[in-house]
Amino acid sequence: MDRIVEMKNIIKEFPGVKAVDGGQFDLKEGEIHALIGENGAGKSTMMKILYGLYTPDGGTITVKGQEYGGLTTKQAIDLGIGMVHQEFMLVEEMTVLENIILGFEPKKSGNRIDFKKAVEKIEYYIENYGLDIQLNKKVRDISVGEAQRVEIIKTLYRGADILILDEPTAVLTPQETEKLFEIFNNLREDNRSIIFISHKLNEIMEICDRITVMRHGKHVGTVNKEDTTIPEIAKMMVGREVFLNIRRKKPEVGEVLLSVKDVYVPGERELSKIKGISFELHRGEVLGIAGVDGNGQSEIVEAITGLREVEKGDIIFKGKSIKNLSPAQIRKLGISHIPEDRNRRGLNRPFTIRENLIADKFEDKEFSDWIVLNEKKIREFAEDLVEKFDIRPANIDLSAQNLSGGNAQKIVVAREIANEGDLLIASQPTRGVDIGSIESIRRVLNDLKKKGVGILLISADLEEILSLSDRIAVMYEGRITGVLDNEQATEENLGLLMTGGRIE
Amino acid sequence: MRKYDYINALLSILVALVIGGIVVAFMGHNPMEAFVQLFNGAFIGKFNFGTTLEKFVPLLLAGLAFAVSSKISVFNVGVEGQLYLGAMATAWVGFTFSNLSKVVHVPLALLAGMLAGALFALIPAVLKVYFRVNEVLTTMLLNYVAQFLTSYLVNYPFSGGTGVAQSPPIYESATLSRILLPSRANTGLFIALGVLAIVYWLFYRTTVGYKLRSVGLNPDFTDYIGVNSKKVILGGMMLSGAIGGLAGAIEVMGIHLSFLDNFSSGIGFDGMLAALIARNNFGMVAIISFFIASLKSGALAMERYTGVPKSLIDAIIAVFILFATMEGLFQLRRRAKKEKEVDEHVG
Repeated sequence: MDRIVEMKNIIKEFPGVKAVDGGQFDLKEGEIHALIGENGAGKSTMMKILYGLYTPDGGTITVKGQEYGGLTTKQAIDLGIGMVHQEFMLVEEMTVLENIILGFEPKKSGNRIDFKKAVEKIEYYIENYGLDIQLNKKVRDISVGEAQRVEIIKTLYRGADILILDEPTAVLTPQETEKLFEIFNNLREDNRSIIFISHKLNEIMEICDRITVMRHGKHVGTVNKEDTTIPEIAKMMVGREVFLNIRRKKPEVGEVLLSVKDVYVPGERELSKIKGISFELHRGEVLGIAGVDGNGQSEIVEAITGLREVEKGDIIFKGKSIKNLSPAQIRKLGISHIPEDRNRRGLNRPFTIRENLIADKFEDKEFSDWIVLNEKKIREFAEDLVEKFDIRPANIDLSAQNLSGGNAQKIVVAREIANEGDLLIASQPTRGVDIGSIESIRRVLNDLKKKGVGILLISADLEEILSLSDRIAVMYEGRITGVLDNEQATEENLGLLMTGGRIE
Repeated sequence: MRKYDYINALLSILVALVIGGIVVAFMGHNPMEAFVQLFNGAFIGKFNFGTTLEKFVPLLLAGLAFAVSSKISVFNVGVEGQLYLGAMATAWVGFTFSNLSKVVHVPLALLAGMLAGALFALIPAVLKVYFRVNEVLTTMLLNYVAQFLTSYLVNYPFSGGTGVAQSPPIYESATLSRILLPSRANTGLFIALGVLAIVYWLFYRTTVGYKLRSVGLNPDFTDYIGVNSKKVILGGMMLSGAIGGLAGAIEVMGIHLSFLDNFSSGIGFDGMLAALIARNNFGMVAIISFFIASLKSGALAMERYTGVPKSLIDAIIAVFILFATMEGLFQLRRRAKKEKEVDEHVG
C-alpha cells in the first residue's frame, strides 16, 4: 500500500502555545488510521492543517507524491481530502439532496440545476457503501446518525478519497456506531482512506488498522493495532497508567433520597416530552440514566432542579415535595447539579474562575455582608478549590473562557461538590473533557458516593454509565424502558433498550 | 485591556481633531486658531468652563443609564423618555410643595424624578421579560409617549401661564445651588459624579452587581445558580431608568428651574452615543461625555471668534464616533479570532 499522505515535522504556534510541535502523520491508501490524544494534544490542529484550514509554521505535507509547505482548503478538496466536522455543517431548512450538492451542483442548459444527474451520482454512493439516507427530507427532520451519513456522502460527492472524521461516534448509539463502522469497512474495501479522530479506545481497536497517538502537540508514536492493547494506548496518551474503570463497590444503600413519581414534563416543542417517569434514588447509590441524547434526559434533570415546570406527577426529596419549587429553593435543600452544557449553564464564560466558583454562594453570610461582597473570603475559598481540584492555570482572576474543556468542567464540579449537598445530579460530567480530567472527575463522584451522597448520573457514554452506576435506567422517548442492575447490564442490552427495544 | 481602551479613545479623539482641522483649513480658516478658540470656549473662564460642566452632567447620567442597561443586555433606547418623565415628576414636586425646607425638598424632588424614570423603564422591561417584546421597539415608541405627554401637561394642566410652553417655576427650596456663576453649572455635578462612583461600586463590589453582570453575560447560567434572571432584568432596567430620570431632574432643578417643553433635544441619545463609544465601561463613559460636552460648549465661542460654523463640531463628533467604533470593530474581530483559535485549539 502506498502512502498517500505524509506529514513531517509539522509545527503550528498560536499566541503563547505551541499547538503542534514536530507532528508526524502518514496515511496509507485504503486504511483506517486513528489519530488520538487528549484535548489540546494537537490532533484537531494537525487535521485542520491537512484540510487547509490552518497554515503550518514549519514542516512539510506530502499528498499523493506532491510536497507542500501548507495547503489551502481548495487545494485540499482538489486533492481529494474531505472532512466531516464534529458539528455538522448542514443547512437545516434545505433538503438532504440540496445540502449534498450545495456549491457543486451539476448544471444543465440555462444555468438550471440538473437534479436528475445529482441523484444518480448520489445513489451510487448510497448503494455501494450502505449509506442509507432519505434525499427529500429536510435536514432538521432527520436523525443525528443520518445527518452524519449525509455529511459523509457530501464529502464523497465532492470527490474525496481521503476522509477525515472528527469524533464521529460521539453522538451515536452503539447500534448507529456499528452501522457507521460497516460504512467505514465498505469505504476501505473501495480503497478509500479514513482518518478517524476519537477518544473511545475500544472503538479504535475495533475498526482501525493503525493508531497514531499525540500528546502536548508532540507525536508519541504510531502503532499497528495488532501490536498493542487499550491500556498501552491509554498510557501513551496520558504519559502514565490510567484507571478509568473505577473500582466500584457494591453500595450499602441507605434510605430513599429522591423519588420521582409518574412525572410528566413538557418539552420545547412537544406537549409532554416526559411521559410518566418514576424512579427512586437511595443514599450512597449511583443511578445511571442511559439513553441517546434528546430522549428526555435533559428535561427530567431540569424538572428535578426546578429549571423546567412539572406538568403532572410529583418529585419527593428527603420526604418533601420539591415539585415546581424555584432553583434557588431546591439548591438550598441540598441538591447540587452539574449541568450537561457547561458553556450554556455551568459557567459564565466571561466571568473569572473566582466568580464562577462562588456563583451559588455569593449571597451566603460567609461571603457577603448585606450586599457588599467579602473579596478576601471569596479569594480564599476560590484558591482553596482551585488547589483541591487541580484547576489549571491556577489563577483565580483568569476568565473561564481561557481554560481548556477539562479545567472548565473542573470548575463546575468543584463548585457543585463544595455545596455538600445530599444529592448530586451529574449530567454528562465528562463530556468533551480530556482523559486525565475524566479520571479525576469519576474518582470524585465515586468518593462522594462512599460518603453517602446519592448521585443521579446522566451520560450518553455507556462506558461511563457502566463503570460508575449501581443501577442503570434507560430512557427512550420520554419513558424509562428498563432498569438494570450493573451486574446484568452490558453495552448490548443497554443499546437495545436505548433504541426502544425490549429485553426478555 | 482596560488601559488599552483608554489609549484608543485618546487616539480616536486626536484623529478626529486632525480631520476636523483639515476641513477647517479647506474652508479657508486657520485650524490652529479655530482650535485655540474652541479650547478657550470650553475651558477658559468661569462661564465657559461652567457651560462645559453644565452640558457634561446630563450626558454623563444618560450615558450611565444606557451603559447600565447594556450590562444586563437590554438596549435601552428610551433614556430620552425616562429623562422627560423624570424631569416632569421633579418639576411637579418642585412647584407644588411650597413650604418645605431645602433639606427635604431637594432630595424629594430628586427621588420623584428617579422614581418616575424607573417606573417608566419598567414598562418595556416587563414587556420584554414576560412577553418577549423587543425593547428597542418599545423604548423608542415610549420616547414619543413621554415627549408628547409632558408637552401636553405643560401646555394645559401644568401650564405656567407664560407665552412659552413650560410649567410654573419650581420653588427656590427645590433648586440646586449654582457653582461657577454666571454659568448655569450646579451642584448636580457632584450628584452625577457620585452616581458614577456608586454605579461602579454596585456593579463590581456587591452581590447586586454580581447578579446584574451575570444576567447580562449569561441568563441561563444565572437561572441555573438560583437567581431569577427575569427579576434581575426588571431591577436593572429600573436602575437604568432611575439614572435617566435623575438626569432630567437635575436639568430641571439646576438649569431650567421649571419644566421647559422639549428641553432635552436629544440628551438621551447623546448619552447613548457616549456609552456606545465607551463600550459601556463606566469610567470611559465619563471621559467621552466630558469630551463631547467640551466640544459642544466650545463650539459657540469658535463660531463667534473665527467664523467657523459651529455645526462643524457635530461633524467632528461624528468623525470621532466613526473612528472610535471602527477601532471597536478591529478589536472585536481580533478578539473573535483569538477566541476561535483558542476554542479550536482546545477542541
